[in-house]
Amino acid sequence: MSTLELKDVTVLYKKHIGIKSASFAAKSGEIIGFIGADGSGKSSLMHAIAGVIRFLGEISYKGTAYHSPKEAEKIKEYIALMPQGIGLVLYDTLSVGEHLDFFADIRNIKKDAKFKEYREKLLHMAGLSRFIDREARNLSGGMMQKLSLICTLLHRPKLLILDEPTTGVDPLSRLELWEILDSIRREEGTVILVSTAYMQEAAKMDRVLLFDDGEIIANGTTAELIDSIRPYVYKEDVCQSKSCLSFNKKSYSLENLNGAHSEPTLEGLFFVNALKTSKTLPKIERLERSQKVDLPEVVMEARDICKYFGGFIANEEIDMQLKRGEILGLLGANGAGKTTFIKMLLGLYPIDKGELTLLGKSIRSGKDRQSLKSKIGYVSQHFALYKDMTVRENLIYFANMHKIPLAVAIERIERYSQELGFARYMDELPTSLPLGVNQRFSIAAALLHEPVILFLDEPTSGVDAIARAQFWEILQKLKEEWGISILITTHYMSEAEYCDRVVLLKEGKKIADDTLEQLYSTHPNAKSFEDIFLSFYREKQG
Amino acid sequence: MHTFLNVLGKELLSFFRSVMLVVVVLYSFTLDIYVAGEGIELKPRNVAVGYVDRSGGGMSQKILAKLRTPDFREPKRFLSQKALSQAIFNKEIMVGIVFGSDFEKNYRAGKKAQIDMLLDATAASQSLTTLFYLQNIVADFQSFNLPLRIKSHKLFNQNADNHSFMALTEMLSLITMLVVILTAIVFVKEKEEGTWDIMLLMPVNPKITILAKSFSQVLIVMMGVVLALGFVLFWKFNIPLNGSFWAFMLLTFLYAFSSAGIGLFVAAVSKDVMQVAQLSIIIMMPLIFLSGAWTPIYAMNPLFQILSLFSPLRYYIEGSESIFYRGTDFIDLLPYFGGVLILGVLLYWYGFQKIGKLF
Repeated sequence: MSTLELKDVTVLYKKHIGIKSASFAAKSGEIIGFIGADGSGKSSLMHAIAGVIRFLGEISYKGTAYHSPKEAEKIKEYIALMPQGIGLVLYDTLSVGEHLDFFADIRNIKKDAKFKEYREKLLHMAGLSRFIDREARNLSGGMMQKLSLICTLLHRPKLLILDEPTTGVDPLSRLELWEILDSIRREEGTVILVSTAYMQEAAKMDRVLLFDDGEIIANGTTAELIDSIRPYVYKEDVCQSKSCLSFNKKSYSLENLNGAHSEPTLEGLFFVNALKTSKTLPKIERLERSQKVDLPEVVMEARDICKYFGGFIANEEIDMQLKRGEILGLLGANGAGKTTFIKMLLGLYPIDKGELTLLGKSIRSGKDRQSLKSKIGYVSQHFALYKDMTVRENLIYFANMHKIPLAVAIERIERYSQELGFARYMDELPTSLPLGVNQRFSIAAALLHEPVILFLDEPTSGVDAIARAQFWEILQKLKEEWGISILITTHYMSEAEYCDRVVLLKEGKKIADDTLEQLYSTHPNAKSFEDIFLSFYREKQG
Repeated sequence: MHTFLNVLGKELLSFFRSVMLVVVVLYSFTLDIYVAGEGIELKPRNVAVGYVDRSGGGMSQKILAKLRTPDFREPKRFLSQKALSQAIFNKEIMVGIVFGSDFEKNYRAGKKAQIDMLLDATAASQSLTTLFYLQNIVADFQSFNLPLRIKSHKLFNQNADNHSFMALTEMLSLITMLVVILTAIVFVKEKEEGTWDIMLLMPVNPKITILAKSFSQVLIVMMGVVLALGFVLFWKFNIPLNGSFWAFMLLTFLYAFSSAGIGLFVAAVSKDVMQVAQLSIIIMMPLIFLSGAWTPIYAMNPLFQILSLFSPLRYYIEGSESIFYRGTDFIDLLPYFGGVLILGVLLYWYGFQKIGKLF
């Protein structure tokens, strides 16, 4: 018999649907994974189950049915919800121990010997026993997430709901978080619902629900799900029809391609689903450029770059080179110093120590940068654009600021909108558009002045699998057809796959810097980049 | 110039797209000024009077009959002083009058007759003015035969109309507030939405960006001023315009830039719109206090009188009053223009430097 059961749960917001008629059941001790992009309905469903937002349909927990937050009150003592965002439930100035006491107090837990024993056990599992007196603000992102998790576990919930607990967390802490979850469900028989942005974590789940655009598109074990798309996945082939797309050495087609089949991945489910519902963004055929690119061998060279915020070292003696026509991936967990570093390169933060050479020019002051501004393109985190102007108005504004003659600008904007496939969204406000479209038009804005270097800060974060795949294709095209250099940051370790060279940051320090081939040859046992980075993290631990 | 117009156009577009801001500005320049002008009342009006009369009537009723509408409500009779006190406590009555049992007797006998008054001093100005009224009424009954007479001539504001004056002062204070907040918001919104970095990376002169952004907000407020003048001050309150309209607009324009300077400073040190609101209030309150908007300068503590010389709002208010009520010639307005200009240049320069450091 299932412990948790959902029947046709729908969450409606004022303007859009959060999740449409979701139904599933879960048994005690099961880990159910929610996988999908931002805005695909994972959080909405979690909040409905936790009984904190209004919903339609029925949810029942151990035979107690509820239809509204009010009715859910009676089962709240069995539920725990950990919301999205690192350290969101923590208080900066409280220590680890004080947090545990505080959460025990608000949950009204008797502090008897049994509680103390359980508390010790949790601290030990989270590896925080040594840090009882450390204030939350001095913990790393991974430690914060582990502390948040054990605080939510204090009252021994029987239904644990975790909204993206691992997003942006370093690979080692992620592994540890999963270990805690695994032992909790075995010992306490807890039903655990956990959402994630990382496909690789599906292996840790008993069952996976795939979310796309407010709907659950698949439900099953990882093996079942992968088997379900086996007939559609081929070794890379030339795609002719509309019901076919290729990505990362695989082709996905609804029609028979007569080619050899390839081992599918979970990610493939999103591709196949997109083909079935024909929801793919238009493919990018080509990207034209009017000016020729003439780059020196080394485009950017940073030496011993340091950045301090008060006593906190954000970047410590980082050396880095960006070569001509190269995609360089800057990888690391949240708080590893990726954004700080990119901002120093751009001159948005002053460089505290070290030397920087951009396009053969040594950078000492803001004046040195002025003439370089027209050669650099930048896409900031979360695609920051003017929200009260339409796509077209935004692009015209950017073109004007870059002093591109209006006729040229309009021609270029028109062309990009065709080439990058957002032409039909030109007169809408960015806030009303899917993240994937915003991503495309942000890159168009950064390319308007035809830069020779492109800096991208987490451009794939939160975007769905297909948009991400196609985004990497755009970058490949820019590299091949334009020959420009690209520096990109990401917290998806798996995206290292698409870079020419990767630099791995950990707590402000560079711990790896190598080409893909080199990394694979020095780590022959690694199955994926996740494994390679894990070994780097372990090496540098302590 | 191209960049300047581009930024200016973008900011105006953004402003008119954001419904909230448009509503706030429209409300401020119409209803808020109207309410300020209409609502502030220093003269007694509809004052609730209660009385206890143990004197047996006669003189007491004659005095009470002098308390007429609309200044006073019909005096209400109470049977005991205790009941009257309770009514004052309950805020039903503002002024209580007690005629003692020997009041009539003493008055007739030509001895000192005493009226006891109970005033709700929480409504300080109204109850004190009422007291002053009653003293006048009582004085009318005493016939001194002194060869003295006062004949007053009301200058500049013939009806001694508080309304248009209060409305004007409110508008001038509002200009300060809106220019500071709006200017700060256009910059801080970029910080909040993350477009700040993109703005910095544009290959344009940051000075032009700052200038265009603050100019756009000054322009918006100037539009609001025209609206407020037309619909509220001239139409509703019939404010006289004895001087030059363009002199006032020029003075407003210069003043708006000094406020924009404060806005730039606020934007430089604030992280989000919330902080802008808090900081603006903290900075503007002393400016408004010291400007003479609420207390005449000559009634201030001497130290504050000196400090008020540093409030640009002081010159602006005095200058504007001179233009509207006194019809002062442009030449004689120069000190006000000078004050606004000098402080304005200093403030704008300081704010400009402060925010410029972030570019």
